[in-house]
Amino acid sequence: MDETLAEFFRRTILKIPMTEMMTILKTWNFLSENQLQTVNFRQRKESIVQDLVLLLINIEYHATLRLNDAAHLDIIYTQFHRHQKIWDVFQMSKRPGDNIDLFDMEEFKSSFKKILQRALKNVTVSFRDAEENSVWIRIAWGTQYKKPNQYKPAYVVYYSQTPYAFTSSSQLKSNLPLLGQALTVASKHHQIVKMDLRSRYLDSLKAIVFKQYNQSFETHNSTTSLQERSFGLDINMDSRIIHENKVEKERVQRVTQEIFGDYPQPRLEFAQYKLETKFKSDLNRGILAEREEPLRCLVKFSSPHLLEALKSLAPAGIADAPLSPLLTCIPNKGRNYFKIRDK
Amino acid sequence: MDSYDAPELTPRQDASSRLKDFFIGATPLQKRLESVRKQTSFIPTPPRRKIPQGSQLQEDVDPQKFAVLLHKQWTLYSLTPLYKFSYTDFKEYSKLLTAFIAAEKKKGLAVEVGDDFNIKVIFSTLMGVKGTERDPEAFLVQILSKSQLPSEHKEGKVLWTGWFCCVFGDSLLETVSEDFTCLPLFLANGAETNTAIIGTWFQKTFDCYFRPLAISSFNLSWMAAMWTACKMDHYMATTEFLWSVPCSPHSLDISYAIHPEDAKALWDNVHKTPGEVTQEEVDLFMDCLYSHFHRHFKIHLSATRLVRVSTSVASAHTDGKIKILCPKYLIGVLAYLTELAVFQIE
Repeated sequence: MDETLAEFFRRTILKIPMTEMMTILKTWNFLSENQLQTVNFRQRKESIVQDLVLLLINIEYHATLRLNDAAHLDIIYTQFHRHQKIWDVFQMSKRPGDNIDLFDMEEFKSSFKKILQRALKNVTVSFRDAEENSVWIRIAWGTQYKKPNQYKPAYVVYYSQTPYAFTSSSQLKSNLPLLGQALTVASKHHQIVKMDLRSRYLDSLKAIVFKQYNQSFETHNSTTSLQERSFGLDINMDSRIIHENKVEKERVQRVTQEIFGDYPQPRLEFAQYKLETKFKSDLNRGILAEREEPLRCLVKFSSPHLLEALKSLAPAGIADAPLSPLLTCIPNKGRNYFKIRDK
Repeated sequence: MDSYDAPELTPRQDASSRLKDFFIGATPLQKRLESVRKQTSFIPTPPRRKIPQGSQLQEDVDPQKFAVLLHKQWTLYSLTPLYKFSYTDFKEYSKLLTAFIAAEKKKGLAVEVGDDFNIKVIFSTLMGVKGTERDPEAFLVQILSKSQLPSEHKEGKVLWTGWFCCVFGDSLLETVSEDFTCLPLFLANGAETNTAIIGTWFQKTFDCYFRPLAISSFNLSWMAAMWTACKMDHYMATTEFLWSVPCSPHSLDISYAIHPEDAKALWDNVHKTPGEVTQEEVDLFMDCLYSHFHRHFKIHLSATRLVRVSTSVASAHTDGKIKILCPKYLIGVLAYLTELAVFQIE
């Protein structure tokens, strides 16, 4: 086996946490049960990895171990660790009146690969089919003169029954137009547009873009009254105890519920707003009243779970209810980057 | 006029006499008792401060010397006065501290991966980093790794830097006898373990005490207003605020950056008293930012915690971290920090 290939195998296997090692190797399905049994998995990780690589080198029944097999392992690792990448969303469109051809996966793959190979002599393209008619594509970029860099690949997840593709932000931004072109042409679309939506959580991006996030859950909680849930009250509590602002608190809960719904929010880590609006304030009359130019601001909200955090603001008294549509429209509009100007 | 029950304040020419008059005739304890009695704010913060000007003292000093102080993140501490400290004993201190660090590291108490026991400590004076002539000279301590190759005579890499200063520290200087040197502000950059070792040596040698210096949201908004008020020829950085929202179970951070020219325009509209910044102006400035934000997002920033402010002059974090960007206002920034350090010591 080629030394660089052996090294690539070694580094790819080394990335895998021990707790996932067996699962990932079995999913990869390249090494049989018998072969895996020859490796002592009770050793230190470095030794296990060494033994696995030796095993691959000594393999008999495959003529040569191909780069594609290593790429497959890399795809599986990334599928298990998809949140380690930041995903952008692209939307494709057909020309009105274009024929709606039946999608053929093999045709798509071969066309996609050809387009990239024609443009860059050196590129490694690998595919792995996944659920819901989707395909994971791994691309290692090279140039006319340099071999592909296997350690900085880009990933594309394309849902073939939809116009959407998700790409991991790659270091090599210069290849983005080519990637877009390959996707569009191979999938028989006319145009591709980058959406203002980005997150680590691929599944949440999917939920937003495919509008799958507003599934109400049928649980026993939905039968208890809104009042009880919001105050955590026992319905038999002493009636002499009165809550201040009870009416207002109920209103806030109700409004928040209406806007955000009863279901878990899709997971995003940030929302960014570029504001170019004039300063207007009722309380601070006269300040900047003569100024024609807007205030140029950049506001960024960050959280491990942005939408859940925003949902909790009005009930906590930190924000008004209803919360601003600039924030609540995020899942609906499918964007977390905004440019706001005065009308 | 003011909500604080402070002694009569009239506009002053000289910043140091302003501080002196404010504290005249009262020990810290007396001041606090008085404010409690009159049911006013516990914090004896002056309701107005001078806008930093480029300090006169800096003009005779080579600006290159300040390069080591700028564009680095410093962790802040307050330091009680040093007993029997002498500027002429730097060579001796260097030797003692070098030996102390080597001993501590060999003890295995504070070893980091790749720790090189070949280190050297250098003490040097920082000329010009002070407010008035009365302020003691600032000095710098650096830990350098000694070059491994004997043929190379050049200095090794700087592993850790710390400096001690006092800018307009009159209120503290008045309270101590001659055996003490007052340098209430200590700034450190480098590994925590080194800071701890250096701190221990100073505490043992000069009978002093370090305490981390946090910066409250209140002071951060003052800094934002004062640094926005500084006249700048050109802006190197955007004016930015960071709030931490106390919501659970997921935390939320809100960053609000405003173009520095727009921030200045807003400040100029708010600012009324020439040469000084008042509490009302700070409150109004922040209020304008809050209301502009609320108009768009319906969120009350005033209900959240301001943790960081950043301008072209400097940036400060509530955990007691500072980065100074503009050499022209170095003294102005240090003056405010010295004030906070002195308050913490008293």
